[in-house]
Order: sequence, then structure tokens, then C-alpha cells
Amino acid sequence: MKWIRRSVLATALIAGMAATGAATAQEQPIKFGLLQDFTAVYTFVTGEYNQGQRDYLTLINEEGGIDGHKFEAIVRDTGNQPQRGIEAYNRAKEEGAILFDFLSTPVSRALVDSVLQDAVVMITPVHGRGDASDGETFPYVFPMMATYWSQATVLAKYIEDNGGLEGKKIALVHIDSPFGREPIPVLQDLAAEKKFEFQAFAYPSPGNEQSATWTEVRRYRPDHVLIWGAGGGQPVSVREAIRNGIPAENILSVVWLAETDVANVGSDTMKGVKRFEAVSTGTDSPILQRIKEKVVDKGLGAGDAKNVGTSYYNIGVATMAVAVEAARLGLEAEGAPLTGAKLKAGFEKVTNFDAEGLMPPVTITAQDHQGGGAGRVSQWNGEAWEPVSEWGAAYQDIVTKEIQQGAAAFKQGN
Amino acid sequence: MAYFAELVVNGALTGLMYSLAALGFVLIYKSAGVPNLAQGAVVMIAGYVVWLLFSLGLSLFLAVILGAAIMFALGLLTERFLLRRMVGQPVIMIVMLTLGLEILLRGIGPGFLGAAPKSLDLGIGLAPIIIGDVFINRAYLVGGVVAVVMIAAALLFFRTRLGTKLRAVSDDHVSSWAVGISVEKAIGISWGLAGISAVAAGVLWGSVQGVDWTLSTLLFPAVAVVILGGIDSIWGVLIGGLLVGILGSVIPGYLDAVVGGGTRDVVTSLIILLTIMIRPYGIFGREDIERI
Repeated sequence: MKWIRRSVLATALIAGMAATGAATAQEQPIKFGLLQDFTAVYTFVTGEYNQGQRDYLTLINEEGGIDGHKFEAIVRDTGNQPQRGIEAYNRAKEEGAILFDFLSTPVSRALVDSVLQDAVVMITPVHGRGDASDGETFPYVFPMMATYWSQATVLAKYIEDNGGLEGKKIALVHIDSPFGREPIPVLQDLAAEKKFEFQAFAYPSPGNEQSATWTEVRRYRPDHVLIWGAGGGQPVSVREAIRNGIPAENILSVVWLAETDVANVGSDTMKGVKRFEAVSTGTDSPILQRIKEKVVDKGLGAGDAKNVGTSYYNIGVATMAVAVEAARLGLEAEGAPLTGAKLKAGFEKVTNFDAEGLMPPVTITAQDHQGGGAGRVSQWNGEAWEPVSEWGAAYQDIVTKEIQQGAAAFKQGN
Repeated sequence: MAYFAELVVNGALTGLMYSLAALGFVLIYKSAGVPNLAQGAVVMIAGYVVWLLFSLGLSLFLAVILGAAIMFALGLLTERFLLRRMVGQPVIMIVMLTLGLEILLRGIGPGFLGAAPKSLDLGIGLAPIIIGDVFINRAYLVGGVVAVVMIAAALLFFRTRLGTKLRAVSDDHVSSWAVGISVEKAIGISWGLAGISAVAAGVLWGSVQGVDWTLSTLLFPAVAVVILGGIDSIWGVLIGGLLVGILGSVIPGYLDAVVGGGTRDVVTSLIILLTIMIRPYGIFGREDIERI
């Protein structure tokens, strides 16, 4: 009898320890490192984007987390400097972060090898290297939204569906940087396939003076102009385009054109300009409604309430919605505690996830880390960004070719 | 031909707007002998100050006037609490101080007033002035006119009593002290005047691109202007600005299409390098000959 009593006691003790362990695991939040550029190049977007990310994580925590697992955002400034990014990454990793978002192409590029080696997840939504869509070459890097290549093809498809591409002249006016030059190969391939004329025009960084470039563009007499810049350069591009006689309706922008640019250019002047849209703008979606109710109205918001629903805020919300969904799937499949490897597995199980209508459905697989590359075109109507096309991806065969070439070059060490 | 003419005209006007940022640089160098590497960031702060006053409900005119007063005072304070402490220190340390000030100011503006670009609408129409096939940018035309007025005012100022004292200080600090001129006060005034010229640059460039940290990058073309024109010459600011603007417009206008872009910064860099190698004191700068 004695041994039975001892066995029961031991079993109870082990069960008690296991329960305590589980409780401890649930008390430990899942940490995301939002190590971004708050003071240098990406300042035009980071404030609102990061606010959206933090508000969404607060919403999930207010709603009880995922099966009791709560989230913690580690927020630090990298100043867009790879050295500071590496330092911030190492600190956050030691603190237990398993997901990183640097929102900076140079910092993200500098840390690709580190995240692959450390088996933690790096997300690069609507920025970063397009070839990271190849999940087999970059197993821990997730663009998870349309890359710049896919943004260019969605814009081209819009032109194709609204007047056609064949015989047209398309000008790309871009900042003279790797980001600005990113869509060129895709547009060159498309030009050959769809039989339109394409020419790229560069302006020097940061883009505050572009007059000579636009004189050239005017002489080229383009039917449509794609503007590929960010921050202060974007309003200058729109103004110069209009000043040089290009109708606002024929100007199409990369994703980085938002409310602040409208204020700078002037709402009436901007009327008609189109842009690539990765995520819906405004506060109509159920997630935004819940953020207002459970986070902002309770005084738990991470920033100015007037930013809620803006373009960049909503992109931030969408990024965390996908990441939290991946965490949920990872925990469901592989159990707690969540590690970088389990989170990666969760990302690769995300299927037709649209964040309750906030974004196009995203399906991420072990091969495709871009998630389909869908987006749409929206147009400034004088009061808001109004969608003028449906969610969808375009010419992914051409994008895939670029992804494969880039991934092959990465494997060879280039 | 129209293409060339348009590149020349808009380039010249852009160059004159660069001159506004360069003017403050020269004013300080003329009196204190210090190349102020913070001048780009001072232009940025001036843009932020005027934007703040404007957004508080002041008319644009009042915002600019009050902004100029504030920037003048900030210039005086910079001299009083930073530069004056450096008297007797090696020039390289003073240059490093201005570099530190540049980094500090670039953090303060966006840090306290928000990093997103701010709108500063001067009400200048977007439609270009069209002469033949040449499109002239109205915003740059206004900027160019303001630059010429500011440079003319600076030239006239140096003919006034106070300006004469500043010229004396720029010639020789010790002799100025000896005849009773307050060198510290004169240098302080030149920092204040540099603040006022920064207001003109910050407002005009801010209206073109919005007010944000990138205004501080005007330092690079401003440095090219002062090196080419002469680091201690007001006339040099005018001519250097015109040349930097025209060369930075015409050469990329023809070369970019051939090499795929990116030549304007190369042109600006070459202007700096070649001037220093061939004529280190610039076109109008004073060549100091010292007995060794």
C-alpha cells in the first residue's frame, strides 16, 4: 500500500509541476522585435505603421491572447543603420524575441544571414528583397505581402485592364537607389511580353529636387507614369508630373503614397492619382472597429488616435494580424512554448487569411513566402483612397522568374 | 534647344535656392572662420519652426517674421553657449562641434514635432510659366527671386555700420578687439543672420517637398556652392549657386539617359573636388597668403 501511496503522491507532484510549468509558459509573453527606423529615412511611415502593429497586439492581449498566450512588442530605433540594427537584433533575441520586423531594406538585408542561422522569423511586408519570397532559399524570411515586383505587376495589370498596354509608353520615375530600381527588370520583361514601350528615369536621393528629370519625362510623352519613391520625394514627383502636363489619372504610385503626401500636394491637386494598395484604408473593417473600442477608447493606444485607419497604420495592423495568425497556427500544431521554428511552421500554414476583410487573402506555403502577391489599385477621390480594382495578383510568372534568379544568386553568394 | 534652355533656367533657379542655404554658411564663416556643418539642420529647424507657427493659426507672413526672430535668437544662443566656449580650441574641434550640433538638431526636429513630412503651402500655383516650349517652375522662380533679394540684402548689409564691423571682424579678430569692436557680439550676429537666411531656405524648400528631416540634406549642395563661389564671398554665393544649379541640371539632363541616372550627385561632388584641387579659395574667395 505504501508504494501505491508514494506513486500517487509522486504522480500528483509531477502533474502539479507540469501544470505550473504550463502556467509559467502562458505567463511568458510571445515577443516580437519591432526594431525600426524612427529617426532617419523611413520616418514618413514608421510612426503610423508601428502604432498599428502595437495597437493590434494590445487588442489581442485585451481579448485574452491566444489560448492565454499574450504578446509583447520590443520596440527600438535602428536609425536605418545596419550596425544599430544588428545590435538591437542581438539584444532583442537575448530577451526572447522570435519574430523581427525592421521596416528597413538595408537593415533587413544585413540581417538575413543572422535570422537564417538563428532560426527566428523576419517579416519584410511591402519592403525588403523580393527574392525572399522563395521559402526554400530563405526559410525564415517572410515578405508575406506583395513585394515591389508584385506591386509593379498589379499596377501594369490595371493599365492593361483600363485601355491596354500594347503600343503604350510607360515611364518609371524612380529614386536612384536599389529600392527605386527594383521594378525595372519586371517592367522590362512585361514590356517585351505585352509590347509596350518602357523607359526608366532616375532622380537623385532624397528626391527634393527633380525638375531636370521631369523635363526629360515630358519629352518622352508617356501615356502612364509609375512613380517609385518614398517620403518627401513622392509629393515632389506628383507636383512635377502635373506641372509637366501629365494628367493626375495617369500617375500610378508604389505603395508609399499616403495621407501625408495628399496634405503636402493638396487634396484637389492629388485628385485622380492612383497607387498600389496592400491593405484597406479607413476604419470600416471589424478589426479596426475593435481596436477603436477596446484599445483606443480605453486609452491603451500606442499613439495619436487620429492615425487610426490611415494607410500606414492599417498596413501595420495587417502585418501583426498575419503574424498572430501564424503564432496561433504554430501553437496549435506544435504546442507551447512557441519558438522561431514553430512560428515559421505556423506562417507556412496560413491559408486564405484576410484579417476579416482588411487585406487580400494570403496563403503562405513552404515555397511561397510572399503569400500570393495580391493587392489592388486605389485612387484619391478628393476625400479618400477609393479602390478602383479588385484584390488580385498579376503576371506572377514574370515575378516568379525574378524570384528564382535572385534566390539562385543568393545561393551562389551574390 | 528648348530642352537645353529649360534645363538651364530651372537649374539656375534651383541653384539660387541652394544659395539660400549656402548664404548662412558664408555669413558664419566670414565672421567666425568656422565652417558650420550644422547649417543644413538649421534650415530644417527653421522649416519646422515656421510650419509650427503656421499650424498654430498665424498667417504665413507672421509665421515667417516670427520664425525669423526665433531663428535669429537661436543663432545668438548657439554662439553664446556653444561657440564662445570653444575660443582657443583647434578649428577641427569647432568643426566637430558643429557636426555634433547637426546630429542633435536632426533628431530634435522630427523627435518633438513628428517625423512625417509637414505641409507648408505658400499658395504658389502648380501650373508652369510657359515660354515657347520652355516650362518654368513657379515655385523655383519665387525661390530664385527671394534668393537674389536676400543676397542683395546681405551685400548691402555689409556696407552699413554694423556690417562694416562684421567685415573688420572677418579680416582680423585681434585688430578688431584692439579698436573696440565686440568680436563675440559680431560673431553672434552673424549666427543670427544665418538663422534668418535658414528661414528663407526652410520655407521655400519646405513648400516644395514638405518639411521633414530631408531638408538637412541641403547641406551637400550648399557646401558645393560655397566651395565653388568662395567660402567667404557673398557674391560667390550668387555665382556659385547659379553654376552648381545649372551644371547639376544640364549635365544629368543629357548624361542620365545614357548611363541610367544618378549623375547629379556625381556632378556636385566633382565640382567640390575640382575646385579644391584647382582653385581652393573658389571663384570669389579671398586667397590668404601667410608668411611661414
